[in-house]
Amino acid sequence: MNHKDSIGIFFYNLPVTLPDPINYQELISYVASISENAKIWQYADFPWNEVTIRKKIETHKLTRVIIVGPLPGTVKGLFSKAMAMEGEDPKSVMLVSFNQYGVWSGKESERAKALLLCAIRDIPFEIAAKPDDASVNPATLIIGAGIAGIQAALEIAGSNNLVYLLEKTGTIGGKMATFDKTFPTLDCAACILTPKMVDVNQHPNIRLMTYCEVQEVTGEAGDFSVRVLQKARKVNVTTCIGCGTCAEKCPAMTPSEFDAGTTMRKAIYMPFPQAVPNKYMVDAESCIYLKNGKCKACVKACPVPDCINLDEQDKDVVLNVGNIIVATGYKTFEAGKMEQYGYGKFPNVLNALEFERLLNASGPTGGNIHYRSKDKKGNWVFTTESEKPEKIAIIHCVGSRDKNYNKYCSRVCCMYSLKFAHLILDKIPEAEVYEYFIDMRSFGKGYEEFYERIREEGVSMIRGKTAKVEEKNGKLLIRGEDILNSTLIENSVDMVILSTGLEPAEDNKKISGMLGIPTTECGWLEEANYNTDPTGTFKGGIMLAGTCQGPKDIPDSVAQGSAAAARVIQSILRGKVSKDISGLSLHDIEKHIEALAPVI
Amino acid sequence: MSVRLNPDLRNELVQYGIGDWNACYHCGTCTAICPLSEEGFLFPRKKIRLMQMGLESQLESSVEPWLCYYCGDCTNTCPRDANPGELMMSLRRYLTSIYDWTGLSKKFYTSEVWELAWILFFAAMVVISFLVILPSFGYLYTSELTAEGGVKVNSFAPISIVEAFDWSMAFLVASLLISNILRMYYKIIWKNSSTKVSLWVHIREFWLLMFNFAVQPKFSKCDDKRYWLSHWFLMSGYTIMFIVIVVFLPWFQTEKILPIWDPQRLLGYYATFGLLFGLFVAIIGRFKKTDVKFRFSHISDWLFLIMLTLTVITGILIHLFRINGLPMATYISYIAHMAVLVPMILIEVPFSKWSHLAYRPFAVYFTQLKKNAVPK
Repeated sequence: MNHKDSIGIFFYNLPVTLPDPINYQELISYVASISENAKIWQYADFPWNEVTIRKKIETHKLTRVIIVGPLPGTVKGLFSKAMAMEGEDPKSVMLVSFNQYGVWSGKESERAKALLLCAIRDIPFEIAAKPDDASVNPATLIIGAGIAGIQAALEIAGSNNLVYLLEKTGTIGGKMATFDKTFPTLDCAACILTPKMVDVNQHPNIRLMTYCEVQEVTGEAGDFSVRVLQKARKVNVTTCIGCGTCAEKCPAMTPSEFDAGTTMRKAIYMPFPQAVPNKYMVDAESCIYLKNGKCKACVKACPVPDCINLDEQDKDVVLNVGNIIVATGYKTFEAGKMEQYGYGKFPNVLNALEFERLLNASGPTGGNIHYRSKDKKGNWVFTTESEKPEKIAIIHCVGSRDKNYNKYCSRVCCMYSLKFAHLILDKIPEAEVYEYFIDMRSFGKGYEEFYERIREEGVSMIRGKTAKVEEKNGKLLIRGEDILNSTLIENSVDMVILSTGLEPAEDNKKISGMLGIPTTECGWLEEANYNTDPTGTFKGGIMLAGTCQGPKDIPDSVAQGSAAAARVIQSILRGKVSKDISGLSLHDIEKHIEALAPVI
Repeated sequence: MSVRLNPDLRNELVQYGIGDWNACYHCGTCTAICPLSEEGFLFPRKKIRLMQMGLESQLESSVEPWLCYYCGDCTNTCPRDANPGELMMSLRRYLTSIYDWTGLSKKFYTSEVWELAWILFFAAMVVISFLVILPSFGYLYTSELTAEGGVKVNSFAPISIVEAFDWSMAFLVASLLISNILRMYYKIIWKNSSTKVSLWVHIREFWLLMFNFAVQPKFSKCDDKRYWLSHWFLMSGYTIMFIVIVVFLPWFQTEKILPIWDPQRLLGYYATFGLLFGLFVAIIGRFKKTDVKFRFSHISDWLFLIMLTLTVITGILIHLFRINGLPMATYISYIAHMAVLVPMILIEVPFSKWSHLAYRPFAVYFTQLKKNAVPK
């Protein structure tokens, strides 16, 4: 540290109304106590502009500037420019970002002080605030068995360590299992995923726990104790032979979750034919016996004695693990919220997951695109008996980039919409496909080329989101503006697909509270550092993977799954795991800095 | 031909009430949801683009802001909170100031102090006229009543003088408004060098102007028809009142107390009811802010409502005090009535919100002319 430095500390404390605001006076007196040659200003002291800031730098001969506040980056440009104009190094403007390091209120004043101390001593906070290590239990818990969780589980299990793979539903595979093809390679999703699912099932190091939910997490990094609710499947997983006789006899019907409600399933069911574990289970909510106490048709039909036990109860299981990977995934935007598109009102306005099932060979129509039509009982169903649509419109950004719903971009919709267009033309070559988009976001490797390919296939790309979908003469009338042409276009189509965006899973809040990981404003789980530590969290021993952290596509989810696994394997190999940074007191950090000062 | 950009324009437009001019990302939802947007006259998105780019000349020659009747569907469905409805409203304010050649409109819209100062100035002139100038010509306040027990209004506000004043005020306002309409015509139709409109089309489509002035058929195309109705009551009440006080003042300002079914009284009561109903809907709406069209209030919106309400209330008071024989109260209300009415007419009609009474029907007329334009 150069003692000749003249440091200017600018508190960028805009007036806010919070129940427990950051106490800036306390921070200012702390700064004064540790550094005599620091000049301190607050936002309210003088109007911040280039002229006034240049004047401060000039009169006080400032050689370093530190901007402190919840979001100091917003004014950094102003200071860098002022420094450069005064002939100082514009790079010597440092930021102390409270938001980045988890200082939200007066409660975290210790952390705020530590950040200030590091900035004044010019030592990176990450180096000074290294938490102590704890010895680690080599078992790992992965919450969520979608593609990210499966990938992480296989990586860790491959390093000969024990993994508990927890899944809320009755099968692993997550959303990817419902997809037909993946973009931009147009690989068959099931062909990539099912071998991995089978691997998971057969791996000796993976303890698969489906139909389970985390109830409580105690302990700290290296030694967590996790209470898990094992929901009753009411079918013995070890003895069930998956013959399906029970489902044949079961009289209770309910929409299939796996088929996004496009087909019906029984109350005793296997989520889908390739489900892992490939066993049946009972949906307690639709089972007639569990409601009325009468039926047991499945028990009578089952060829294996004592396999089905409808009176089986949920039970608690306690797991002891050293690391936890959260891979709880996402849910899709409820298209019915945007009334103007008529989802739920017009049977042939579909959301993305429904259409994904319609395209899928294991879906309701065996992979052929047909209208939803009325069956004999008057229910709207997909059957191969109805006609094929000739004109299909795909509306992008449904529930995304919209301040009324979700303001962020869901990242995957543009690409899966293009994939839809391709698959429609693949199955109905004479079809007309219209993509109504705002901006085309084809940002990944091979994505732009994919976009070009789809355009060459003859898909009409219309820049301009549609305003509404109406029914007219049995067709769906779409009104939108063609922005590039400045014309109003009314398009009469047979089927409308809404490219519904991604939203944080309903359990994100619960998980966030249970594990002590903050969520972003939009509800995604907050990573430790978006750029440099996208899989880590503020809590030691807890990692994120996949869409629970933010919208992402399959390649990115897989990559993050592997990255989180690498972090876990590293800690197991070292035999130690970093504890929480929150466990460090200001005194600890001060001691670290003293020790580091001669080195830096 | 290239067009010049004026990047300062958007900062200027902020003074007319435009909020976040940069929020729009051009998805086109607003244009498509709008029940009034039509081929060749697309809005609001296209106008927002002109504004973002600072395409001043194209914005000035736009007729579209006047074709918007502010149902608020665009603002409700806008994914960016860009508030296209209020943007169109702000553009109408801007265009009013552009059509006005005196530059006063811009001053009134962008400076509250300036507007209030002029209102107070005109009000003071009215009060001085009644308290100093008229008495010096022998028109004094009298507590004498007519044989029926009514107040002798003509003794302090003589019909001949008030009528002459009304006519000259109407003449002044009309000439300002007409000259502004000519400028509007020049910008929207005349300046367009690529097309021309024949004289016959001008004559043939003239009925549209009258029709739109009288019933505002475009307004009725907005989803909520109730606002069209309340606006129509307000408009018809105001038009009737304006005609009777300017053209038929000797018939309207009588000392004789006529029977209640007399056309003079019935017409006056209808106009009062129409005005009050329209004002009530607008004021309640602007307080409640539940409907988009009333959610954002520029100072000019409130001033207009307040002044019109005060005019109506003082008008009612004059009537009540006069027929009940309360000379002093009548005298004071008469002065107050004129002190609000005069600045309202002189400022609002040619320079501010009220000029829409002319610009809106003319815009429909000009739109029709543009549709019938042929290449030169």
